[in-house]
Amino acid sequence: MYLVADISIEICAAKSCKLCTQYCPEANTILYSEEMGKDQGFKYGSAYVAVDRCKGCAQCVWVCDNMAKNNAIKMIMIDQLPKAALTDNITYGEKSTTAVLASPVVG
Amino acid sequence: MSLDYVKFSNGFEKFMPKEYRDMVEHGPFGKKVSVSQVGSFKEVLEEHPMCAGCAMTLFIRLAMVAFPNPEDTITVGTAGCGRLAISQAAIPFVYGNYGDQNGVASGLSRGLRLRFGDKPKDVVVMAGDGGTADIGFQQVLHSWFRKERFTTIMLDNEVYGNTGGQESGMTNRGAVLKMAPLGKKFEKMDMLQMAKVAGCAYVATVVPNNPRRVESVIKKAVLIAREVGSTYIQAYTSCNIEYAIPTDKVMEDAKTVENDRYQFTEYVSEEAKQYLAERYGYKEFLPKPAAAIPNKA
Ligand SMILES: Cc1ncc(C[n+]2csc(CCOP(=O)(O)OP(=O)(O)O)c2C)c(N)n1
Ligand code: SF4
Ligand code: SF4
Ligand code: SF4
Repeated sequence: MYLVADISIEICAAKSCKLCTQYCPEANTILYSEEMGKDQGFKYGSAYVAVDRCKGCAQCVWVCDNMAKNNAIKMIMIDQLPKAALTDNITYGEKSTTAVLASPVVG
Repeated sequence: MSLDYVKFSNGFEKFMPKEYRDMVEHGPFGKKVSVSQVGSFKEVLEEHPMCAGCAMTLFIRLAMVAFPNPEDTITVGTAGCGRLAISQAAIPFVYGNYGDQNGVASGLSRGLRLRFGDKPKDVVVMAGDGGTADIGFQQVLHSWFRKERFTTIMLDNEVYGNTGGQESGMTNRGAVLKMAPLGKKFEKMDMLQMAKVAGCAYVATVVPNNPRRVESVIKKAVLIAREVGSTYIQAYTSCNIEYAIPTDKVMEDAKTVENDRYQFTEYVSEEAKQYLAERYGYKEFLPKPAAAIPNKA
């Protein structure tokens, strides 16, 4: 098993600065959703990780901790994530994306 | 290369992979996108085999977001780590022999001008420090002296990363690397000064820990190269493998190096300033209004 980044919607949605989306070295990996967060009653939407593209570098953790000062991202073993975003289940919209979360580990 | 090539062929839409459909429907083609919108549109760069946490990868990603007209852009690369990602994007990529990139780009940009006239087609070279300052040095310098109108970007990781850690002309004096165990004996080459001497219209240094600045520098360099002359960007893009930087400290290293010896610098020729102001509305390059005459009455 290997580590991937996991963003806490509750913590991110309080700030939702989108910094991590600009600093992840991988394209199309940290995405932003207007709904995720707002649909749980938080003020803003949230960033989230397409875990099938994440290479586990933890740069986003450094950025959220030290630049955003929000500590919303943790590295987690992929099989410890009951549900996560995967590229196949992501829909792009006009200004934001939506994701149907699914189990990241098959079988 | 035009918006015509980023669409579905009749009847094929439903057979295309999701990534392709997302690219056609929600990619940056024909729109103005910016770095502040990443995460909300489909980026042109796809999955690739560059190392986890590599700053060069981040820079390439940001550069591709910043291209002013991605549908009218061709990238040119050469041997080295960067091509592993640059080739995996929905932008045509030309790969020559090691060090040929600025010769290839010269021919390409001239050919595109013959074929398309005034319609801008942007050629952007991205190559490593070894590819640019060592093996390709002669072709790079000559393309600048000839004022070839394309952008050269050096992905400066201060080492030959792809082949396991030899020193390059851009390695700092004293640096000890796997295949330079005694430490480099000579100074880092001053390619910025050489670019100015050779007549580049735009010369900038940048570090990817400031994504908006990367965006601004790329846009200016590409626009100036359309008409005014050669443009050169030197980007510090650390190799976390050869310099043993833990991946979660790559941005911290970028910040330290930026403060220490890779500060942001930007040279814009007078002609390029005027061009950016008049053609693209860059207010900072408008001629300053003459100082108001103090009212003595
Ligand atoms: C003519 C030729 N000589 C040698 C090589 C082997 N080679 C491949 S990549 C590389 C070094 C790349 O270093 P650099 O240009 O600094 O790029 P980096 O990998 O560090 O990004 C070398 C020597 C080659 N491909 N072609
Ligand atoms: S850096 Fe942190 S707070 Fe900002 S968008 Fe990313 S996870 Fe949310
Ligand atoms: S761990 Fe690295 S690859 Fe994964 S989301 Fe964070 S920055 Fe991106
Ligand atoms: S070897 Fe170095 S420069 Fe090349 S991809 Fe890996 S970290 Fe990046």
